[in-house]
Amino acid sequence: MALTADRFEQIKRFEKDLSQCMKCGFCTFWCPVYQEERIEASVARGKNMMIRGLLAGELDYTQEYADRLNKCTLCMTCTANCPAKANIPNVIVAARADAVKARGLNFPYNIVYRWLLPRRRLFGWVVRFASWFQGVFMPKTEGTIRHLSMFLSALGKGRNIPQIAPRFLRQMVPVVNVPPASVKTRMRVGYFSGCMTDFVLPHLGKHIIDFLTRNGVEVVVPREQGCCGAPVFLGAGDFEAGRKMADANVKAFEGLDYVISDCATCTSALKDYAKFLADTPQRKKAYEKFAKKVKDISEFLIDVLDLPASAYKPSAVAKGKKVSWHDPCHLSRHLGITSQPRQVIKSISGVEYVEMPNADRCCGMAGAFSMHYYDLSKEIGDKKAASIKSTGADIVVSSCPGCEIQLIDSLLRNKVPVKVMHIMELLE
Amino acid sequence: MEKKLRAQLEKIVGKGVVLTSKEDLTTYSYDGTATWAHMPEVVVLPTTAEQVSQILKLANDNKIPVTPRGAGTNVSGGSIPIKGGIVLCATRMNKILDINKTNLTATVEPGVVLQDFNLALAKQGLFYPPDPQSFLGCTIGGTVAENAGGPYCVKYGVTKQYVLGLEVVLASGYIMKLGGVTVKNRTGYELAMLFTGSEGTLGVITKITLKLIPMPQASKTMMAVFDDMVVGGQAVSNILASGVVPAKIEFVDNFILRRIEEMMPMGLPVDAQALLLIMADGSPAAVEVEAKQIVDTLKKSGAREVKVAKDAAEAAKYWKMRSAGFAATFGAAKTVLAEDVAVPRDKLAEFIGKLGEISERTGFFISHLGHAGDGNLHPAIFTDVSDKENFAKAQEAMEEIFEAALSLGGVLSGEHGIGLEKQRFLKRAMDPVALNLMIKIKSLLDPNHILNPGKIWEEERV
Ligand SMILES: Cc1cc2nc3c(=O)[nH]c(=O)nc-3n(C[C@H](O)[C@H](O)[C@H](O)COP(=O)(O)OP(=O)(O)OC[C@H]3O[C@@H](n4cnc5c(N)ncnc54)[C@H](O)[C@@H]3O)c2cc1C
Ligand code: SF4
Ligand code: SF4
Repeated sequence: MALTADRFEQIKRFEKDLSQCMKCGFCTFWCPVYQEERIEASVARGKNMMIRGLLAGELDYTQEYADRLNKCTLCMTCTANCPAKANIPNVIVAARADAVKARGLNFPYNIVYRWLLPRRRLFGWVVRFASWFQGVFMPKTEGTIRHLSMFLSALGKGRNIPQIAPRFLRQMVPVVNVPPASVKTRMRVGYFSGCMTDFVLPHLGKHIIDFLTRNGVEVVVPREQGCCGAPVFLGAGDFEAGRKMADANVKAFEGLDYVISDCATCTSALKDYAKFLADTPQRKKAYEKFAKKVKDISEFLIDVLDLPASAYKPSAVAKGKKVSWHDPCHLSRHLGITSQPRQVIKSISGVEYVEMPNADRCCGMAGAFSMHYYDLSKEIGDKKAASIKSTGADIVVSSCPGCEIQLIDSLLRNKVPVKVMHIMELLE
Repeated sequence: MEKKLRAQLEKIVGKGVVLTSKEDLTTYSYDGTATWAHMPEVVVLPTTAEQVSQILKLANDNKIPVTPRGAGTNVSGGSIPIKGGIVLCATRMNKILDINKTNLTATVEPGVVLQDFNLALAKQGLFYPPDPQSFLGCTIGGTVAENAGGPYCVKYGVTKQYVLGLEVVLASGYIMKLGGVTVKNRTGYELAMLFTGSEGTLGVITKITLKLIPMPQASKTMMAVFDDMVVGGQAVSNILASGVVPAKIEFVDNFILRRIEEMMPMGLPVDAQALLLIMADGSPAAVEVEAKQIVDTLKKSGAREVKVAKDAAEAAKYWKMRSAGFAATFGAAKTVLAEDVAVPRDKLAEFIGKLGEISERTGFFISHLGHAGDGNLHPAIFTDVSDKENFAKAQEAMEEIFEAALSLGGVLSGEHGIGLEKQRFLKRAMDPVALNLMIKIKSLLDPNHILNPGKIWEEERV
């Protein structure tokens, strides 16, 4: 088996998508990367044709090839609008995986992805270590935002990033969080705290846990959980490391009926284990079962919890404010969750909802994409900032810390005084 | 040589917009056709006419082939750099320079995407009718170079009816101005028309002035269901003969309609042999009268059922269905040979009958989709290039389709152009003196044959 292992094992799993593209070029209209670069290699059609070229033996694993494949935010706008229903992002992730398998990862990503991200505690230490330097060496910028050095500085290159929290979520909350004595316990769920919530926005995690417990939900925060793996298997195509992380997370939430996540990227990555990482029937079964348990926080509030109107009280900052919603790609197109977050906002008394034009347009963050291609990412972000500005909203909310960083950065750069928050921060 | 060329081009357009990696070149080797591909040596993306001029001078001095390209959505092999050389891609020349609501004209750079243009016009209540169904991708330069058409052309005409003025860079590098911004213009020969539909072989279009019309106030969409394709074809002729010219009349056959229903279930009558989608537009009062007349004619012509869309949403659903037709056709087999013949509009039923006979004789299933109101059909044959024998037979069947269209007074291509795909048949479809004249014009304007060489006519004639 190992001897005959196919060089294009993963790509071939998505052969249908690969061959379905009929080269109509409609994706050029939708692709945020093409809209900036206007060259063919930016867009699904071009990337897919390069992958076909690789399979035909005309192209090889070169730096250019890797570069063209990395230049994709996996926003899936191409797929959502493709008349042939070709899911080229699937092919791109698979092609990244085959490339990693054939050629390995480059430094420093090999260290970070293979070794550091899977080790949550150590990762936490490194982030903490970096935060000391951040405070010591880097200048402060506007508001509560600082330039971040060292480890996360890969994201930096002048980008405005929230600072690393002095205490991480796992140091702030116990494993089991029970509702107050006066409230009847309705159900028990697991809480998946993505890396961003854990290390950068622990107050958000605490806030969500408090909201849930107050509404009769017992929240378990397993210590064994780790990074969702999105940057590793989706971004870098390292399926082997991805499987380790997937297995750890599946195990960490065993016995819990729901896994609640406040990060769209994590949510969709957790649900994508089955699609990309299932290499054995056992894994397939376990990943599929796990995927069913994973719920985005708004989806959980609306579809499962079904709270009374009285539960939707505005937080102090949100009271009387005009609020707009940015659809994270990983929530809207990847998971089809668009109505629930809007319903949450509209349910909050005393908050006015305003829809922005092209709310579901990619913000340009896409994790490692924005580290490698910050200029491109900025240009895409500028379009988003203009959309937000046009609404006259006081606050823009989303459900993805990654998007939120990009929104903060884009709005600051464009001098648009709109506050960026997580949707749950609108709630008391 | 390659390095030197790259450096020279970079001197003209700057770094970053001269592409030479094998990866990038691969992505400029194809177009919308199923089987044609050829790699260029270099791709260059200029932003001004001046840069285009210098690129052409350089190419002309060194006799390097230059293939102009827009979005590469053509389906005739037109933008394939079949002789290698330079692909000159206009996608970064994408500024809308002027929209003049009082003169009803607009001036654009060639790389403006048709849909971006439509959206900008809609904001001002203006309308540019030629609507090739690739509007999300195709550039206006590409539509002028192909003289593209679309559903709206029944009533409003094709691209050439809207081109008032062009700026064209000749092979020598000279930046030439043709036509102007007036609707009437009798200054010498209609040279702007020479470049409209020239498929990139005579010059590079760098600026386009187009005629606009106000957005029609109202429209109504009807869908007619037929149990027989020939009867459906005859209904089209009957409508036109009845004295109304609908905005659009589109034809979808049973095969495609079933495929669409599979792709996007919407409750289509899957047992119908043919559907006609018809739109009437204009002032609200005129639309009412015309729609009624169309419905009557359809019923009299033997339609099993005629549905009139209740509202804009239902109408949009029908048209979305029609635009899925291309995907439905091209997704149906490994290799799809889709043609673009056009016949006189009173011969449509007869032509559909002939297609049935050809299908029976050759054993190939033929699907029908097209702009019936223009007599322009895209009969498609399903095959597989890797199966040599089957593919050769499919091509023979295709030839029979051409012959059938020509014998009815039709043409080889209604809107897609000749490119590489149809040049084998050109001799049969054109007066030999006219064909010769065309080649002479080419030689006069482009003596070294650097511009999109190898296209339209077969090479040995040069
Ligand atoms: C799904 C689909 C549906 C389609 N539907 C229709 C339809 O309904 N009607 C229709 O008519 N066509 C249709 N087409 C064909 C195609 O979209 C049109 O021919 C379109 O005009 C091509 O535009 P483009 O920008 O992609 O040009 P390209 O494909 O890049 O080029 C087309 C030709 O124009 C030349 N050219 C491009 N830009 C310039 C320039 N600036 N100066 C000089 N020459 C230039 C090229 O050399 C080439 O010969 C369809 C195609 C697809 C894929
Ligand atoms: S829209 Fe779909 S079929 Fe068309 S070129 Fe893009 S990926 Fe291919
Ligand atoms: S996923 Fe997004 S960025 Fe990637 S090719 Fe598709 S539209 Fe472009």
